[in-house]
Amino acid sequence: MRTHWQVTWSVWHALFMREVLARTMNDRMGWFWMLGEPMMFIGFMVSIRSFMGRTREIIGAEFIPWLIIGLTGFFLIRNAITRGMSAIQANKALFAYRQIKPVDPLLVRHAMEGMLQTIVLLILLGLAVLVGMDALPDDMLGVGFMWLSLSLLGLGCALVVSVVVRLIPDLERLIKMITFPLLILSGVILPLNRFPPKMLEYLMYNPIVHGLELLRGSYFSGYHLLAGVSLEYFWQWILITLALGLALHTRYEHRLKAQ
Amino acid sequence: MIEVKNLYKRYHNQTRQSVEWVLEDLNFTLPKGVSLAVIGRNGAGKSTLMRLIGGEDHPDRGEVIRRCRVSWPIGVTGGFQGSMTGRQNLKFLARVHGYTDRIKEVIDFMQDFAEIGKAFDQPIKTYSSGMRSRFAFGVSLAFDFDVYLSDEATATGDAAFKAKAKQVFHDRLGKASVIMVSHEEQILRDLCQAALWLRKGEPPLWFDDVNEGLDAYNASVKSPKKKSATVAPIRKAA
Repeated sequence: MRTHWQVTWSVWHALFMREVLARTMNDRMGWFWMLGEPMMFIGFMVSIRSFMGRTREIIGAEFIPWLIIGLTGFFLIRNAITRGMSAIQANKALFAYRQIKPVDPLLVRHAMEGMLQTIVLLILLGLAVLVGMDALPDDMLGVGFMWLSLSLLGLGCALVVSVVVRLIPDLERLIKMITFPLLILSGVILPLNRFPPKMLEYLMYNPIVHGLELLRGSYFSGYHLLAGVSLEYFWQWILITLALGLALHTRYEHRLKAQ
Repeated sequence: MIEVKNLYKRYHNQTRQSVEWVLEDLNFTLPKGVSLAVIGRNGAGKSTLMRLIGGEDHPDRGEVIRRCRVSWPIGVTGGFQGSMTGRQNLKFLARVHGYTDRIKEVIDFMQDFAEIGKAFDQPIKTYSSGMRSRFAFGVSLAFDFDVYLSDEATATGDAAFKAKAKQVFHDRLGKASVIMVSHEEQILRDLCQAALWLRKGEPPLWFDDVNEGLDAYNASVKSPKKKSATVAPIRKAA
């Protein structure tokens, strides 16, 4: 008889190898899009900016590295949520083996997605540096910490959302729908201080804003954070979503398996 | 050893109306090394019980306590990823079951046993149904379990494969035991010691001797009116 931890570890190992295989064998275009999507976004935004002739710069940071960090940070969370939603459905067949619980494919996918997204970030920033932009991080440790924190928020949201969309399937559509407005409302492509203060007050409830701002803050030492950005608030969200997500998975494990 | 305690199971329909229990207050303890034949009419809950013991499904009430390594129901094909090859699927399962260091042994056994040849490196969705079930059968036997679950699994394949499967089964039974559902009585008599008779709407019956169990069951099927009169030397499921 193996211990619980041994079983869990071998399940994760097996799922991880399987996920690597599936990503390299069946999803070749997926690799392209992981890099292609943010690059197209950047190209698009830069051309809009130059077309509109907007000269107002972001204080303390160059625009393109600023955008790269915001986009990849945002995609880190968005991909965690969308992949998390499909992780259970896609691996349904595996629940025939009692060692595998619905939370396992989700955790493994998340780890995998986080690694890929980190590689994307490094490639994009590497390109920016090669082109001669000021895109080296000022506080490497802080960037690593915030990147990990964002990934954890993604995991927390993915845990909650994966259960909720199985219980209420219609929400899946809704969640996919709000990711685009969220891109703008999280200050990914436009600095949020352009918004009227009255509105900003509400926008600051969004934890992604705090996460991205803090990430940029540690990346560019001269960067001016939005007023009201708080690491504490951001981590409250992480802890609450993680706890709630794990609780939901424990509570609804049987139902998730049965579907 | 497997303990089944106060097991209740029913399947809800869409409107969430209460439906009849498939299994109602089932209790038994299967000692180490004893093979069990599960018998009963269609719809008596045999397959449901197998799924619950295998942990594929969860009881509504009660519990199944597994104090040994229990297989999933032999021959289940549902857990395979169709777009992956037989080898990839097998490797995955070997890793899940803690055979990471012995993957080669498992693969060698499989290639020898399932007789699917080059198809082993083809995606599973390209397999014929016969190949698929031989593969599924082989996968279950590729790992060492203390108790194997077999739900009509021996009905797979042509005569030669059946004979081979039965032989492997026999060899395994020295070290392991089996919980078996089958309509082939002879196999049950050969392989099992005890019997559990699941009856719809009536309490299940436990027999320490599989022959007694099958005889009682046969008698009830042939003369349904006298069914309760024929079961004399038995005790209720313990």
